[in-house]
Amino acid sequence: MRTIFLIAVNFVREQRWPILVLLLWVLLLAFLGLVTDVHRQREDLLFIFKQVAVYVVVFSVFFGGSAIHNERKSRRILAVLSKAVGRQQYLSGLVGGITIACTIYCFALGITGSWTLGEAGFSVQQVWFLMLYLVAASMLAGTIALMFSTFLNPFFAAGATAMVLGLPALAAHVGAGWEYIIPVYSLSAAVLKSSFNPSGDLLWIPLGVAVLETIVFWVLAARIFARMDIAVSVE
Amino acid sequence: MVFALEFENLTKEYRSFASRRRLLALDGFSLRVETGEIFGFLGPNGAGKSTAIHLAMGFMRPTSGTGRMLGQPFGYARARRRVGFLAENVALYHRRAESLVRFYGALNGLRGSCLAKRAREALEAVGLQDQASRNVGKFSRGMLQRVGLAQALVNDPDLLILDEPTSALDPLARVAVRELLLKAREDGKTIFLSSHLLSEVELVCDRVAVLHRGRLVRLGRTVDLLQSGEQTEIVARGIAANAFAGAMVQDGVVRFTIESSKQRTALERVWSLGGEILSVNPVRRSLEDIFLEVTADQESKGEGAQ
Repeated sequence: MRTIFLIAVNFVREQRWPILVLLLWVLLLAFLGLVTDVHRQREDLLFIFKQVAVYVVVFSVFFGGSAIHNERKSRRILAVLSKAVGRQQYLSGLVGGITIACTIYCFALGITGSWTLGEAGFSVQQVWFLMLYLVAASMLAGTIALMFSTFLNPFFAAGATAMVLGLPALAAHVGAGWEYIIPVYSLSAAVLKSSFNPSGDLLWIPLGVAVLETIVFWVLAARIFARMDIAVSVE
Repeated sequence: MVFALEFENLTKEYRSFASRRRLLALDGFSLRVETGEIFGFLGPNGAGKSTAIHLAMGFMRPTSGTGRMLGQPFGYARARRRVGFLAENVALYHRRAESLVRFYGALNGLRGSCLAKRAREALEAVGLQDQASRNVGKFSRGMLQRVGLAQALVNDPDLLILDEPTSALDPLARVAVRELLLKAREDGKTIFLSSHLLSEVELVCDRVAVLHRGRLVRLGRTVDLLQSGEQTEIVARGIAANAFAGAMVQDGVVRFTIESSKQRTALERVWSLGGEILSVNPVRRSLEDIFLEVTADQESKGEGAQ
């Protein structure tokens, strides 16, 4: 477990600059909330908040899609996997790292969102639950991207992930409930559609499905990654 | 006997997905490295040395064949807890040297004060104790290689696998690494050393193997290899330059080299020609001579086969 934690923290450390830029983005949002007349432009503020919030899913796909590629290209993966680190542990560490990075973003967004949306007169009771939705969605999206990146380059891995994540949007037209098959879409849609009404219902089920599917995709990724020659040039 | 490393009829074929090209990097490669020895692994570029090492470390899967490292199948993560590995062109995370070595030590299961102590000792062993708080990103290539060596040593491994450990080092650092390897052998460690610096290999290795185009073409004790095909240089005067093949003449002095087994015959011939022997000295072959001989021989065989 400690090995996984070390790899996860190391991933976050290596991604510190992108994470910092994302945090600055969140702070900018808070600053805009501070300088604008939030009461007159509250719908605009809500729109920007939701949009910035859902970006985390996109970031997680980029993090997941490029993690292994970057490590292989730089050959740093060799020193890590020359230790008593199994490939499953290595992937778990990367999933953990992506989740920590996205949680940091969502936490910062939760704080600034609670403040700015509260100032604008919205109910902020649901903000943290929605952030939990986003963490779960980004964890699953990142794991799917990671799974594809075990055998595809980052560009194709991101593309394949986008296709998989988009499937439930099409499936939703088939019948009710199908949008939950890969709940990144439904979790993100819940954030986008939220009116920040205290009486609005948020379900735990998609969260549970997201966690379960993260495990499923991690197992798939581990199976594929175990068969890959990691010392071969990725160029 | 327990072997530190065993390669059993390993074959590794690289396949290009797009062009369907195939490259045979290892071809039925078998080798056993005994515990407690320094083993030199030689071969020209592209011979398959790094491929063999990567298979042993579990970075790749063989196309066929098997292998064991410290009694466990290749790729078994727990066996690597007792292994130290330094890759060719080492690449490490950019953080403080001590923090980096601690990170790798922690990945190998070291904890707390033991980890801190081992990290300090490893940096000291490679002469970087004064640079412990500097960021590795600002290190020269030689220093980076020494940090790489420190991370390989941090867990006090039973088996050290080093791929070109001294390629970027200055002569002083090279001597230090050589002493470090000899000390490790004294402590009962096994060292599997891949290097192009044949003079270094000759000085420290108990046994060497030469790999060429994925096949093992020479294996033996370093001493035996150096003594094989021993030659003698004879310096004489008072004889014609063409009396011996390949003889060189300078100021009336004839100098030629013959196989040691034919030394007596050559000396008698000089005397029978009325010459005077000035000196008879054994010519010591270097590992480089043997390496060039073996690879040239294999090249000519390859061309002949074509």
